[in-house]
Amino acid sequence: MKLEVLQFELNARKVSVRVKPDATLLDVLREDLDLTGAKRGCGEGECGACTVLIDGMPVDSCIYPALKAAGKNIETIEGLGTEDNLHPVQKAFLDEGAVQCGFCTPGMILTTTALLAKNQSPSEEEVKVALSGNLCRCTGYTKIINAVKVAARNINKL
Amino acid sequence: MSHKVIGCSVEQINGSKKVTGKSKFTDDLKMQGMLIAKVLRSNIPHARIKKIDISIAEKIPGVIAVLTAKDIQGENSVGIIIKDEPVLTDEKIRRIGEPIALIAAETEEQADMALAAIDVKLEEIQGVFDPEEALQPSATLVHKGGNLLVHKKLRRGDAETAFKEAIVTAESNYITQMVEHAYIEPEAGIAYCDQDKVILLVSTQDPHYDREEIARVLGIGQHKVRVIQQPTGGGFGGKLDISVQCHVALLARATGRPVKLTYTRQESIIASPKRHPYKIYYKSAAGEDGKLLGVKVKIICDTGAYASYGPAVVTRALVHATGPYSIPNVHVDAYGVFTNNPVCGAMRGFGVPQMAFAHESQMDILAEKLNISPWEIRRRNFLTPGAITGTGQKLGQSVGILETLNKVQSYVKEQGWGN
Repeated sequence: MKLEVLQFELNARKVSVRVKPDATLLDVLREDLDLTGAKRGCGEGECGACTVLIDGMPVDSCIYPALKAAGKNIETIEGLGTEDNLHPVQKAFLDEGAVQCGFCTPGMILTTTALLAKNQSPSEEEVKVALSGNLCRCTGYTKIINAVKVAARNINKL
Repeated sequence: MSHKVIGCSVEQINGSKKVTGKSKFTDDLKMQGMLIAKVLRSNIPHARIKKIDISIAEKIPGVIAVLTAKDIQGENSVGIIIKDEPVLTDEKIRRIGEPIALIAAETEEQADMALAAIDVKLEEIQGVFDPEEALQPSATLVHKGGNLLVHKKLRRGDAETAFKEAIVTAESNYITQMVEHAYIEPEAGIAYCDQDKVILLVSTQDPHYDREEIARVLGIGQHKVRVIQQPTGGGFGGKLDISVQCHVALLARATGRPVKLTYTRQESIIASPKRHPYKIYYKSAAGEDGKLLGVKVKIICDTGAYASYGPAVVTRALVHATGPYSIPNVHVDAYGVFTNNPVCGAMRGFGVPQMAFAHESQMDILAEKLNISPWEIRRRNFLTPGAITGTGQKLGQSVGILETLNKVQSYVKEQGWGN
């Protein structure tokens, strides 16, 4: 299969990568760029483990054609904070015990980041609606919702 | 005295790796020269295999190994309690998803092409999908030894007399469904050889059991198998059984290269064990005061094509048939039955939640018949310290059920959900 050149902005850096025309954005991130923070949970846009931000919007990268990302701004969990310098959303998830097995966590955190960029003080209902595309099977929703509220408060204090 | 751990909120080990996406789950790992594995699985539930032809699949460019049952040098069986499940079948198919052949190829596309090129000749057999039908003398046999996996009995006091003396009785049948765990991380494993050792990196809940089974299947000592549990993206009991472990180990030994097998979501749902569906026939007898005099219960647990944790789940169904109640006369029969349904194994609650649906519904029915509140009838029957359970265990110093119910009742009132 003939490869196509794909250029986009990834975590504030310009990247250029040769991809199969039928590759998904998740394939390119995981296989070609070695960014494995976005996970393949279902492969059909149901579970949200593969969530990345495209121009600030949370998107299921497992069903997003890679070539459609041309020229766009992509943020993955690797671009958010580091272990030594956590982003307030990452810190809130850790502090509030909102991380169990951790497989859904990167997607949950990115969706939360997108929500809080638009809405600085979301109601519980707004948090639930925003996270409705991210599944957790450890049944940790109560703590996840709580972590989003704590993150919102902490960001507002900054 | 101050503690660093007890009574404190302790940060999860590796938590900072999980929130930054640095945690390496099995499918996140790559190794030099690593092959991709696929499993050929049956798409029909009951059949006899006549012939497996891998000659075309083997010739596909990039395909490094195609393995069938005859390539297994050790024992071709796994199972936590009974070793009744073939690693690769070459005789009989007992369920949809039964593994028949393994492929290792340079790319996923090549592995998929090889899967499609394997020719399997089958003779279909009528399947049995209802556990009660499976117990009939005329039923098709799933296993040679019969369809009854296990029958467990619990007898205490004299239930017949209790029903004669009862003021009120309740008799209902309950059916519960099969449930998939649906952990967000599908099963995944990588195997590679290090001199004469086989190393596994795997998403699992039971690495010690995995090691034992891999060694038996490869026909080598356990000291030559090392299983490393990678961060595991949920299990809930569903990753206690063998999934990819023996398959990647066989392929790594056959090719001498690292081999990765990651299930798709579809394969995970088809191949993994489930929660046992139950049919429960429940009769309860109570006196005028609402106190339980006796219960008679028959439970039929569908374990699917293989035993997995079935015998243990059936025991738990039996033991928990009486719920948190003090019942002097108890007569319970619990059956684990083979069918051609998906294999049922361990899942959160391990056979007990199904029983709660039945014994709690019975309490509500009795309360209504006696015009007692559903809270009150439970309080009158709860196990307390010093009470004897259905299995004859005298309870010790603490039984938390009354305190729990009181808290639930306060909460229900607070929320305005009722009385």
